[in-house]
This record gives sequence, C-alpha cells and structure tokens, in this order.
Amino acid sequence: MTGFDTWIQVVVTFLRLSLFSLGGGNTLLQEYHHLSVDTFSWITNSQFADLYALAEAAPGPSSMIVGLLGLGAGWPHGVWWGLFTGLSAEVAVLLPSTLLMVFAAISWSKLKDSPLRIAFERGLGPITLGILFSVGVTVMRVADQHWLAYLVSVLVCFLMLFTKISPLYFMVFAGILGAFGVIQR
Amino acid sequence: MAASSPSHRALFLGMLQVALSAFGGGLSAWSQRIVVEQRHWMSNEAFITGLTVARLFPGPNQINMAVYIGALFRGLGGAIATTAGILLIPFCLLMLLGYIYFNYHSLPAVDRILTGIVAAAAGMALSMGFKILHEYWRDPIALFLAAITFIALQIAHIQLIPVVLIFGPIAMFLYWPRNIKPSSGES
Repeated sequence: MTGFDTWIQVVVTFLRLSLFSLGGGNTLLQEYHHLSVDTFSWITNSQFADLYALAEAAPGPSSMIVGLLGLGAGWPHGVWWGLFTGLSAEVAVLLPSTLLMVFAAISWSKLKDSPLRIAFERGLGPITLGILFSVGVTVMRVADQHWLAYLVSVLVCFLMLFTKISPLYFMVFAGILGAFGVIQR
Repeated sequence: MAASSPSHRALFLGMLQVALSAFGGGLSAWSQRIVVEQRHWMSNEAFITGLTVARLFPGPNQINMAVYIGALFRGLGGAIATTAGILLIPFCLLMLLGYIYFNYHSLPAVDRILTGIVAAAAGMALSMGFKILHEYWRDPIALFLAAITFIALQIAHIQLIPVVLIFGPIAMFLYWPRNIKPSSGES
C-alpha cells in the first residue's frame, strides 16, 4: 500500500459514514473501531483506545477522533502523509453532513411540520439509544484488559451520571493510577 | 434575520472566539453567549431552533450548530467559514497531540499513563446511553427498538449502516404521526 492508496481508503470510508452519525456523532465509534482496526488494520486495538481517550481529553468536539484515525492510517507513510490524511479524514466525515445541514438550515421552516421530520426525530431516538449502549460496551471491551480497569470505567460512568465533576479530573486521576501500575493492560 | 448579515470574515472570527472561549468545555453555552448576547447575530429563539436542527440531523452537534449559523446568513460559504472557525484551533491542537502520541506512545511510562486514562475515557463512553435513557423510560416500543438495535450490533455483529437502514424505517413507521392526535403523552 502506498500513502496515496491509504489516503483514498480513508477518504472513501469516512465520506460513506458521515450521514450515519446520528445523535451527535458518537454513534459511529464502534464502526470506526471495526474499520480502522479489524478491516483495514490502520492501527492496533490499544492504539484505538488511546486515540479515543486523547480525543475525549482534548478541547473541542470529541468527534475529531476521525482526524486522529486518519493520522494513524497515514503515519507509516511519513509524518506529512499522516497529517494530510488526518485532515482529509476530518473533512471527509464532515462534508456530507455539512451539506445536508446547510439544506436543513435554509429549508427548516418547510421541514418543521412535515410528518417525515416528526417520524425521523421520534423514531431514530430509540435507535440512537441502542447504538450508544453498544458503543459503550465496545469501547470498554477495547480499552480495558484488566478487572481493575473495568472497575475504573464503571465508577467513572457512575460519577458522570450522578455528579457534575468535569471528566478531566477522572482522566487525570486514572492516569496517575496507570502511571503507578495499578491499572495494567 | 439581523439588520445586516455578518460577513464571512466575521462568521469565521466569531466561531474562532467560541472555540477559544470553550477550551474548558461548554461549547454550546459559549456559542449562545457569543452569537446571541455579544454579537446579536440572532435571537435566542432562533438559536434554540438551531440547536434542535443541529441535534436532529446527522453530524456532530456542535459542528452542525456552527454550520446552521453560517448557512443562515451566507449559505454554503458561510457554513464553511463557521465550521473552519470552530475547528481550526482545536483540530491543530489535536493533530499536535496525535503527532506527539505516535512518536512516543511506545515509551513504557507513556503507555502506563495512557492505560489509566483510557479506562476513564471508556467510562465516559459507557455513560452516553444511560444519559438519555430516562427520555425513553416510559415508552416500551422505544425500549424494544433500542434493545433490538443493541442486540443486532453487539451480539449479532451486524454493521451499523445495515442496522440503521433496516431498523430506521421500521422505527419511523411506528412513530409516524397519526392524523387524529390521541393524548400520546411525553415528547
């Protein structure tokens, strides 16, 4: 595979997925994992988990993980291929949904009361719910290799739901636990 | 909308300001503050409508919101300006982080710290479903649809695109608004 072949693979992959990012984009995580690790072997399982954590920790929309996946895919062909592929991946995943959103913004007054809009909104909510649960289970299986890691994940999930503490604190604390070898993989 | 529509340049800079202000989080609160209260580009009602549209359509919510704001004033060009504005700095920073990561992740110390951070991040992913579960709690059809979607993806290992293409239309059919509106309860 040349850098260009990988680039084509990345761009086609993310263009194709863009319109399936329901419920804010995180619904695609499981698919990202399947494609970048199992199908195309751009990165390894633990690299995927690392990149997900980086995207969550960094400021800005967490859906930018796509840029990191592209970077990982292009990385073996050199730094510049990596960065170029990363940027292209992000553009590819945003382009179709952006075009649709422009259309939606301009014609919202007509769409607003159409039964299609109402059915779409109400019907796809439960589907999104199912996908998000599946994504959570998949990310946890990819990320955690040790029972203590699972315990940390479940605890963080619990704290996310019942407190308003910024998740950055959980990451820092868990990072310290990892540094001291408490959590291993 | 407003008396004079903001230029492409103003749209880009406005969203750049939103991205910079929101470094600690709370992107949509910051965009409301800057777009509605500081720059008076749109009314609060128009902003809330934008949020609804952004959540409804595919794509990351915050980026969709930026697209909405740009498209409303300047069409596709405006949407490109606002999207570029909101993404430029966070994306460059993330690429820098990624660059550092791919150079140093094989160092044992880095790998150990990441092992911990990853466990916390997985907990965040796990919480996403639970966060919206209460909206569907009293709706058995919704819970059933969510359950078969979960089983299809997680146990039957069907890919996302076929799952959405099969269950999506079924769900839309089940939730198609009826002509006679019964007291169908919560939204």
